[in-house]
Amino acid sequence: MRDLTLLLLTLVALPAVFAVKSHDFKTCSQAGFCRRGRALAERAKENPSWKSPYSVDPSSVAIDSTTAAFTAGVKSSIYPEVKFGLDVRVHRDGVVRVRMDEIDGLRKRYDEAASWALVAEPEVSQDIQWTVAKDAVRAVYGDNKDIEVVVAYEPLRVTLLRNGKEQIVLNGEGLLHMEHFRTKEAVEQEKSGWALPEAPEEGLDLDDAQVVMQMNPRSWFEGAGDDALWEETFGSWTDSKPKGPESLSIDVNFPNHGHVYGIPQHATRLSLPTTSGEDAYYSDPYRLYNADVFEYLADSTMSLYGSIPVMHAHSADSTVAIFHAVGSETWIDVAHPKPSSTHTHWISESGIMDIFLMPGPTPADVFAQYARLTGTSALPAQWALGYHQCRWNYISSDDVRDVQTRFDEEDMPVDVFWLDIEYAEDHKYFIWDKKSFSDPVDMMHDVEEIQRKMVVIVDPHLKRTDSYPIYQQAKELDLLIKKKDGQEYEGWCWPGSSAWVDFFNPASWDWWKSLFKTVSDGDKWAWTESTENTYIWNDMNEPSIFNGPEISMPRDNIHYGGWEHRDVHNINGMLFHNMTTLAVMHRTDPPKRPFVLTRSFYAGSQRLSAMWTGDNLGTWEHMAVGVSMVLSLNVGGFSFSGSDVGGFFGNPEPEMLVRWYGVGAFSPFFRAHAHIDTKRREPYLLDEPYKSIVRDILRLRYSLLPVWYTAFREASVTGLPVVRPHYVVFPQDEGGFALDDQYFVGGSGLLVKPITSKDVTETTVYLPENEVYYDYFTGQTYRGAAKGKNVTVPAELHQIPLLIRGGSIIPTRERPRRSSPLMKYDPFTLRVALSTGGTARGELYLDEGETYAHREGQFIWREFEATTEGKKGKEIRVRSRNLAAQKPGEAVDGVALAAYDDKNDFARAMERVRVERIVLLGLAAKPKSVKAAGKDVDWEFKAGAAAASKAEGSASVLVVKDPHASITSDWDIIIQL
Amino acid sequence: MLPWLLLLFPASIFAAETGKTHGVSPALLSRYVPSTVGSEKTWSCLNGSKTIPWAAVNDDYCDCPDGSDEPGTGACSNTVFYCQNEGHIGARIPSSRVRDGLCEPECCDGSDELPGVCKNTCKEVGAAYRAKVEEENKIRKTGAKIRSSYINFAQKEKSRLEEKIASLEKDISAQEKEVARLKDIADRTESLSAAALEQKKQSPLYQSFMTHVNALKSLQREHKKHLEREKILEDILDNLRSNYNPNYQDMAVLEAVRGWEAQAGLPHINDVGKDGASEEEEKAKAEEESQEELEPGMWSAGQLEYDLDNLLGTDYETLLLEHERHIGAPASGSDSILFDATAYIPDALLPQYVAVRSMLLSWLEALGLTHKAPSDAAADTSRAQQAAKEADNALGHIKQDKQKAQEELSRIFDPEWYGLEGEWKKLHGTCIDKDTGDYTYEVCFFEEAKQKPNKGGASHSLGRFSSWNDADGVTLGSTEYYSRMYYTRGTKCWNGPHRSATLLVSCGVENALLSVAEPEKCEYHFKITSPAACLPLETTKESRDEL
Repeated sequence: MRDLTLLLLTLVALPAVFAVKSHDFKTCSQAGFCRRGRALAERAKENPSWKSPYSVDPSSVAIDSTTAAFTAGVKSSIYPEVKFGLDVRVHRDGVVRVRMDEIDGLRKRYDEAASWALVAEPEVSQDIQWTVAKDAVRAVYGDNKDIEVVVAYEPLRVTLLRNGKEQIVLNGEGLLHMEHFRTKEAVEQEKSGWALPEAPEEGLDLDDAQVVMQMNPRSWFEGAGDDALWEETFGSWTDSKPKGPESLSIDVNFPNHGHVYGIPQHATRLSLPTTSGEDAYYSDPYRLYNADVFEYLADSTMSLYGSIPVMHAHSADSTVAIFHAVGSETWIDVAHPKPSSTHTHWISESGIMDIFLMPGPTPADVFAQYARLTGTSALPAQWALGYHQCRWNYISSDDVRDVQTRFDEEDMPVDVFWLDIEYAEDHKYFIWDKKSFSDPVDMMHDVEEIQRKMVVIVDPHLKRTDSYPIYQQAKELDLLIKKKDGQEYEGWCWPGSSAWVDFFNPASWDWWKSLFKTVSDGDKWAWTESTENTYIWNDMNEPSIFNGPEISMPRDNIHYGGWEHRDVHNINGMLFHNMTTLAVMHRTDPPKRPFVLTRSFYAGSQRLSAMWTGDNLGTWEHMAVGVSMVLSLNVGGFSFSGSDVGGFFGNPEPEMLVRWYGVGAFSPFFRAHAHIDTKRREPYLLDEPYKSIVRDILRLRYSLLPVWYTAFREASVTGLPVVRPHYVVFPQDEGGFALDDQYFVGGSGLLVKPITSKDVTETTVYLPENEVYYDYFTGQTYRGAAKGKNVTVPAELHQIPLLIRGGSIIPTRERPRRSSPLMKYDPFTLRVALSTGGTARGELYLDEGETYAHREGQFIWREFEATTEGKKGKEIRVRSRNLAAQKPGEAVDGVALAAYDDKNDFARAMERVRVERIVLLGLAAKPKSVKAAGKDVDWEFKAGAAAASKAEGSASVLVVKDPHASITSDWDIIIQL
Repeated sequence: MLPWLLLLFPASIFAAETGKTHGVSPALLSRYVPSTVGSEKTWSCLNGSKTIPWAAVNDDYCDCPDGSDEPGTGACSNTVFYCQNEGHIGARIPSSRVRDGLCEPECCDGSDELPGVCKNTCKEVGAAYRAKVEEENKIRKTGAKIRSSYINFAQKEKSRLEEKIASLEKDISAQEKEVARLKDIADRTESLSAAALEQKKQSPLYQSFMTHVNALKSLQREHKKHLEREKILEDILDNLRSNYNPNYQDMAVLEAVRGWEAQAGLPHINDVGKDGASEEEEKAKAEEESQEELEPGMWSAGQLEYDLDNLLGTDYETLLLEHERHIGAPASGSDSILFDATAYIPDALLPQYVAVRSMLLSWLEALGLTHKAPSDAAADTSRAQQAAKEADNALGHIKQDKQKAQEELSRIFDPEWYGLEGEWKKLHGTCIDKDTGDYTYEVCFFEEAKQKPNKGGASHSLGRFSSWNDADGVTLGSTEYYSRMYYTRGTKCWNGPHRSATLLVSCGVENALLSVAEPEKCEYHFKITSPAACLPLETTKESRDEL
């Protein structure tokens, strides 16, 4: 009894604190290949005469006769009998791809990661020439012949230079190591050879280890060379590793770049803190191994739900990047040997080396280069940029209706209501629990009535019961992932005993797509209890498996083609959401823009989906790190991202919830979500003043939807991120390189710094240039400086520090509506924020919002411009011009239009939509007249600081009323001072 | 519903002329007239903050800081649009719904959108509305009739209670006299023996005895605390056992569940239902098995639970005196076997025996089955005291009865209880329930709400009645006030709050529980109907007209 009592007391005393279960996840020292990789780096550091054993065999260099590609044989001096092959090519845009694989090995290394990540096979340049020298192959290219790539033979070393300055160096530290396939027997045999020295010399004072070392000719490089090669245990799990060691280590150095960004997803700063070297901030490398980390830490290198192995390196001089197309677990050490240079070390469990070197030299160039490789963020449906209301769970169809009613009663805009796993009977996705959702289609119709949508969850685990048609079909079609013995893999997830579809199997694709049809085709199963406005949420696709190693799948499971799960783990989640996205897109004819939210992702996921940062905690730390995580994802090409407003776990106090809405409203993806154990916290439940503040924030988001949509258009065409950290916008301003708590929205000129801590009444905003910035709400002016300047901005609870960069024109729609499609014909307001030079510029992109008609020219894309003209600058002109006609080829994603027809149906329908108001900030004096199309129009002027002056205080404001300006046509408004 | 289609080719996009009083409610119509200044017609914003040209009213541009210049276009946010709905009743909608392309159901005349977008459906809508109102009124009427019978009941209860109180008051004054008389006697005898009693109390036996008593009381208190704690822990563990997620394979949790199952004699949760034996049976069996053999004279757990209070309630002074008498007068034939048995009982058990005996004796006396033994002066004192005390107790009981009746009476028309008219009085203790498949939910008005698993197992309290809708801004006694009934502090949830239930009350001819939802963990919403919520039609006529 006593023991039980003790047990009881222990249970009761369990502290109710949040904490990640760190012991569920590996550290580098618990992963054999990472341990080996780090030990290798350690030996290299301690050995002054270290030299990479890998070298190019000069006689094998074979240059392609038509393209900028060559292959060569590579040898390792420690395993002279093993053959490696090198394949280097320069793409038309100057990106260098370096591949290395083992040739004629015992087995084949996984080499398909790039095929899933790349949008298409990149075009290799036909102009650039390789020249062969005695010790290297090199190519010089670029408009100014400023770029040079050198592949040195001995040791193998790849260097990208610009203007003679090293940008990226592969194997500069000699950490390249591709563990070749071998048999356990051969290794044992060889080892027995070392262990039996024929005649140990007497009198030598050597211990056994040294004897072995001495006998092992590779120990200087490989160490003992026998660490966890054939089997590995973690917790109660054993990884059988039937293929033995096959890891890949490579050092990637940026000798002239002091900041590195990217390799999402980690809960850390945007400018990645160090993990090795002196005074490293973290002790473990950044880990990329998609995992469902329960209650993750807000400051850690632990891996999270998704992986994008792309890294930017930045200095005031240039921006470059690398992308390593590897799908297996990867650890990345980051060090700054000096503040202006960066060393990184990439250690992967399996797969070939497939590294893309992006030469930049500007951030915009790097984004474009990466976008050409893996694609851009697709232009989302416009409604998807509105506010999403989620909870685990809205419990019935009446509950959903009630939530909708409450939003409408409070006049708070919302576009999407979400259903988490409890809608599904026994967590059999697609199958409604009719006890609580008796009329799902009627419920959706009620939501659609206000032009809203629903998002319903479909997870990748299938309940293993024959009464579940989806599972039954997957089993019959032999589409399920197998254990190493070839039997169906069974794991535990929400429904209990579950199986997983192998989306690497092409046979699964059409089958999966057919499930989402809303009408049944013959006797095929289709989701007839859904509508064309039902969109999908893919969760748990790391995959999350409750009883699996590291809450995921055993690495020795087998996928299509015989590949082990370890080879494809990080890609697995992307295939699932990609297939779902295609299913949603193609359930209608013609297809409509899909919306699928995913938790797990890989390079290329941005092409089809949106993501969120997973199960965050309701703490200020998580709110803050959510901002830098979203920036990091944007750097990684995944613009459509956000973190759960309110925090998934916990009950945020009203102040925290209000601030979190401020964060969400300035995230590309804006969703509130809550755990099943939390109190309800829909914004209408807040007391005053919080409720009204949140209503204002929601309306602010909606009024700025034209800005967001325009930013998404740009991202979808150019690859530039939707939210842009300072280094992207001001690549030469050192003061902004580490900033990750304030950022710009697209190219609009809006600079925001969401407040992410308690009791704040004012904050500091960094202004990177000698320009005037205006408070978005009050018109207060702030003046920056060329060397950068911090200004103090009010930030009471009802205030969001939001500035307009002088020289910007911001198009907004300021009539509150219940949902974004209802704003379709609302008029625009243009906020013209004059620069100190008296100019301003802005853009607006609009289309129908849900279909692909924009790819057929159905859209409008306008440029607004303000200039100061005339003698002494007495005349200010604001005009609207047709950007679509000027640059039809760059207007929309997916297609380069040859011409633009401004009488397209969409533009015609929008003709009646007008600019109802122009708000001009920073005018030097009260106008004498304001004319549109030669006629006087009404205006009001409030005196204040002029843009060009040094005056602080509120800017002068000219409000032009209804200037008879259609949003679709060219016009000029002339202001005479 | 795609009114957009209709908008594709509007005649003239910038010249959509809107009537100046479009969207103005009847009460404000008189203020939407222009003033003429010189040759210009002007208009002042309703709050007087600005004067604008008359042409700027309803021109689809917001001029007035208070938004009053755009009653009909939606150009000013946070204002109200009025649709006349001729043939139906007028309605107000927020400006956010004006010209948003959707035909508001509230504006059957279609005036919330540009001309040509929405059909005027007021004829049909009005007819349907009237039919619906009629239907509702029917229910209301029937309900209100039942309600008035409830009110009658309350009135009768009022009279009954008033009578009862009057009669109890009489009883009280009679009993007070009796108490006074007996106290007088007791006082007189006591003054003689008080000193003697004090003397007797100094006996080491009595002193030690009292120490034992105190110790026993303290033990009992601690024991009760432990029992409560054990119950909570049992609940936690039961919850853990049935609700833990076996998927996470957390060994610590599994260990705890297994340990608890072994300790409580329960089958492993994953095996439940696999064989015939129900969980309850298993539990009972296990409890049976765990019955230990008691040493003779030792109390069983049941006795400890039920008899210990009685034992500790013994009048020790009387006992002391009886003891004196017992020591002083050797056994005589006048006592029955009951009085004699002490001789055969081991000393260690004597106090308990004596206590039980004296209790038995007093019952026998009360039942007239036996007579008190002859006694000495001290015993006389004690008896007089006893009589006075009993009389006083009886008085207390009557007073309590009266207080209860008064409380009941005061609650009948207390708005915080049975309503201004006492319409809910009748339902006190009435229970309604709903079978939702896994559970049957039950609520007994003004008492308790419960969740009973249909497949066996313990039921949970979802709380006891605590109040009506006393949220901020809700007027005591208003219709809104009686639209919600709160039951709070039910069984505590594992790792969560105490369970609670909110009754969402609406008018209906029956007392019925329509549906149950759990919008947040352990917080339940019961939708119920009751005739008590059916106000007679006349009292709400005005407010309906305002619609």
